[in-house]
Amino acid sequence: MLSQSQVNKLKSILGDKDVITSKIGMYAYGYDGTMLEGAHVAVVFPESTQEVVEVVNFCREQGIALVPRGAGTNVSGGTLPSEGSIVINFARMNKVLEIDLENYVAIVEPGVVNWDIQEILAKYGYYYPPDPASWKASTIGGNLGESSGGPKCFKYGVTRDFIYGLEVVLPNGKVIWVGGRDFSSEPMYDLTRIIVGSEGTLGFITKAALRIQPVPQAKRTMLGIFNTPEDCSQAVADIVAAGIIPTTLEMMDNLIINTTEDYAHAGNPRDAGALIIIEVDGYAADLDAQVETIRKVCEKDNAKEFRIAKSAAEVDQIWLARRVAFGSVARVKPNYGINDITVPRSEFPKAIAGIEKVKKDFGATIGIVAHAGDGNLHPLILYDQRNKEEVDLLHKAEMVLCELALSLGGTVSGEHGIGILKKALMPKEFGEQTLNVFKKIKRAFDPQNKFNPGKIIDL
Amino acid sequence: MSDIVAKLKGIVGEEYVVTADMSQYLRGNEQPQAVVFPGSTEDVAGIVKAAYDAGIKVNVGGKVVDTKGLTGGIAIVMSRMNQIEEVDPENLTCWVQAGMNHQEFVEKILEKNLYFPPEPYAVSTSSIGGCFGIGDVDTKAFNYLPTRTYILAYESVLPTGEVYKIGTKCIKCVSGYDLIHFITGTRATLGILTRVLVKLLPKPQAYRAVVADMPSLGAAAQAFKAIQKRKIFPTRLNALCKALGNEIMETKGVLVLVDLEGFPASTAQNALEVEAELRIAGATFSKIVEDKAEYDELWAKWLKVREKINLQENKVKFTVGPAKVPNAIASLAGIVGNLEENPGVLVEGLNGKLTVFTENAENDAVAINKLAMSLGGNVCGLLGNKLKSKAYNEDHNEIINVLNSIRSQFDPKGIMAPGIKF
Ligand SMILES: Cc1cc2nc3c(=O)[nH]c(=O)nc-3n(C[C@H](O)[C@H](O)[C@H](O)COP(=O)(O)OP(=O)(O)OC[C@H]3O[C@@H](n4cnc5c(N)ncnc54)[C@H](O)[C@@H]3O)c2cc1C
Repeated sequence: MLSQSQVNKLKSILGDKDVITSKIGMYAYGYDGTMLEGAHVAVVFPESTQEVVEVVNFCREQGIALVPRGAGTNVSGGTLPSEGSIVINFARMNKVLEIDLENYVAIVEPGVVNWDIQEILAKYGYYYPPDPASWKASTIGGNLGESSGGPKCFKYGVTRDFIYGLEVVLPNGKVIWVGGRDFSSEPMYDLTRIIVGSEGTLGFITKAALRIQPVPQAKRTMLGIFNTPEDCSQAVADIVAAGIIPTTLEMMDNLIINTTEDYAHAGNPRDAGALIIIEVDGYAADLDAQVETIRKVCEKDNAKEFRIAKSAAEVDQIWLARRVAFGSVARVKPNYGINDITVPRSEFPKAIAGIEKVKKDFGATIGIVAHAGDGNLHPLILYDQRNKEEVDLLHKAEMVLCELALSLGGTVSGEHGIGILKKALMPKEFGEQTLNVFKKIKRAFDPQNKFNPGKIIDL
Repeated sequence: MSDIVAKLKGIVGEEYVVTADMSQYLRGNEQPQAVVFPGSTEDVAGIVKAAYDAGIKVNVGGKVVDTKGLTGGIAIVMSRMNQIEEVDPENLTCWVQAGMNHQEFVEKILEKNLYFPPEPYAVSTSSIGGCFGIGDVDTKAFNYLPTRTYILAYESVLPTGEVYKIGTKCIKCVSGYDLIHFITGTRATLGILTRVLVKLLPKPQAYRAVVADMPSLGAAAQAFKAIQKRKIFPTRLNALCKALGNEIMETKGVLVLVDLEGFPASTAQNALEVEAELRIAGATFSKIVEDKAEYDELWAKWLKVREKINLQENKVKFTVGPAKVPNAIASLAGIVGNLEENPGVLVEGLNGKLTVFTENAENDAVAINKLAMSLGGNVCGLLGNKLKSKAYNEDHNEIINVLNSIRSQFDPKGIMAPGIKF
């Protein structure tokens, strides 16, 4: 617990309303998508870089750890407060500071919600490609913390690829700008890239220069429905082999097709083994030919149905099932564990087969949603949090899934980050020397280990 | 023979250590005590460990090594490690040894209908290790993103001699700190890349180039803006002053080089629209290059000019953003004199970046940075950072502290890449 004088000092920096120390008030900031809980002693809401600096300086003097937080939607325990820490919540630093369309850059504060910047940009015919499914809630700061991906990242890349520069408050309280308003302004080392994805363990981001771009001239949305996930993954491989990098290749398996039908009547056949939403974008003149190539590929790979959206309404209809996929499983079980294992694209069929085996071995109910182009799978393990046996089974099954990904030359995390949930797997993914190198990075920025301690690695 | 030379010979074999007539492997005036040619990661690790133990400086290069600060040190030439180890078309990846020549790699990969977009820094000598070591934001970066985008995994020897490996064939990976991309551009200060897993793309299905002779850089810049207004984003959108342009083709004025890679229909259509905009902006000559051999020859010549620009010491590179290029051009002459007569001006329309040769680079950089900042940009890289910090009254020292702090974690004795000072 903080002493009264510590609380008073924080209030003098931030104002009364921006410091919470009551148990009930702090509750909502103590957990994240993992359902675990932390043990913090205060939540603070800075509204400017200067306030962040003062909080950081005060906490450093007092030896208190700080845990940065955006919307808290991460699913890796990245915002779980460590014992005795203060949560620094960036939600109130939510201004869009500048939009410079002609130079393809937007400057925003970290608390801006991804969707909000998209809405502003859409008015001008622009967008910011990283689009995690949580975009209606998740913040740019959190997206940066995890280097989040989204359905469009097969073609366009992840958060890391769209950041020109950052204003960062370092653990010593100093403020630096890394990068600039273009990709050529890094001070030799690409500090932007090491901070993006560092889960708040190296520095706190207080401003970000995002690369924005004009909405492509045209887009086409297609749906391929297959009897088996194997045929579906073959189609993914064949589309890429045909020289096309779609914007989106979103796959769903039979279980998810059925839960989404129950929930939203999306109009997909319940007996299908898998479906895939395919989107291509680019110059209008090219898209007919690409659609035709994709149609042929899907037919060759035994698609039982292939639809091409002809109107905005049909695009929405195709996307409906995917949009409600996560929520729809609540009809089967109240909770789901979401994983983000990722394998090389060629190993996708083996990953699917491996998940089937986990289903059998554990008697678990698992539905699969996947960014198939990236080899990034979201096996959703359905369970009931009130049932301890099911919770234990969930944890065991998740570890086996991670090991499966590693055995296929993949990674335990394609987009959700390590946090604390997957920290134990780090020695399985990386050799000792690589882990040592991670420690060098952490020590270089935060030798006292006070910025989000215990996340990613232990020092 | 010194102890270290004997040790090196023990590691790589006598024939792979050169101590006399080293100049063909070196760039610069200083003299290392040996040039050594490792054949494997183990060799590199052995060399670096020996150097580290003895506190001897080390630098590395593909074919040639920069000798700045390397007097009495060891120059490691990676050219023996020049193999493509594995091409994986299904995953669009390739394991390649760091000493492979960059351009040769591009060509070999193209034969397999695959594409590695980054442009070689210096086409005659650059290696894949150098490509990622320098980590350029090249003239194709608007569409293809910077060089770092194309590294998925690597093996590296730390300055202390240990080997580590990181990355997978997955294009998405957020496990651990993103050293995979961070390593790009660290110029061997944090270790020596020995093998790299690069990300590839499918080979473009169609190519066109548009060339034009423009009355001025300003006219070229206006055309560049108009092209972007049409939502056309070519692969390269470059303008060269007459002196550089004439190394590619004879022009009366500024040479504009536009590269269009992509799918057949849009590539053909965009070429027509680009040419039209260049004509509207005053081109006295323009041509769409459709013939593939002619196209290849054009860009091969461009790469030679690019090498010349990159190896020129007396130059300033700065960014202002694509929309501000005309303003930058209009004001630049006030600092460096008539641009049309300058021996080296390059305008990268989409990156919003300009490079200008100047005999007084240090001084001009200060004035150019002021100009660039007034347009929302800055001089590139470390120098730009320093100038920008000074102008804003920010603490540039803190950036330097961070850089040094990282470097000393990796290289406590400071043996690697001694020419690089922050
Ligand atoms: C239903 C659902 C769907 C999802 N879909 C996707 C998806 O498609 N793709 C994907 O990648 N993820 C997805 N996620 C995970 C999650 O939404 C993302 O990781 C998201 O980017 C987190 O944003 P946030 O604002 O909630 O950040 P938080 O969860 O609050 O924080 C995330 C990390 O960033 C750090 N952080 C926050 N702010 C700052 C700052 N200012 N400076 C430094 N560090 C900071 C935190 O400490 C933490 O480590 C999904 C989650 C859910 C629940």
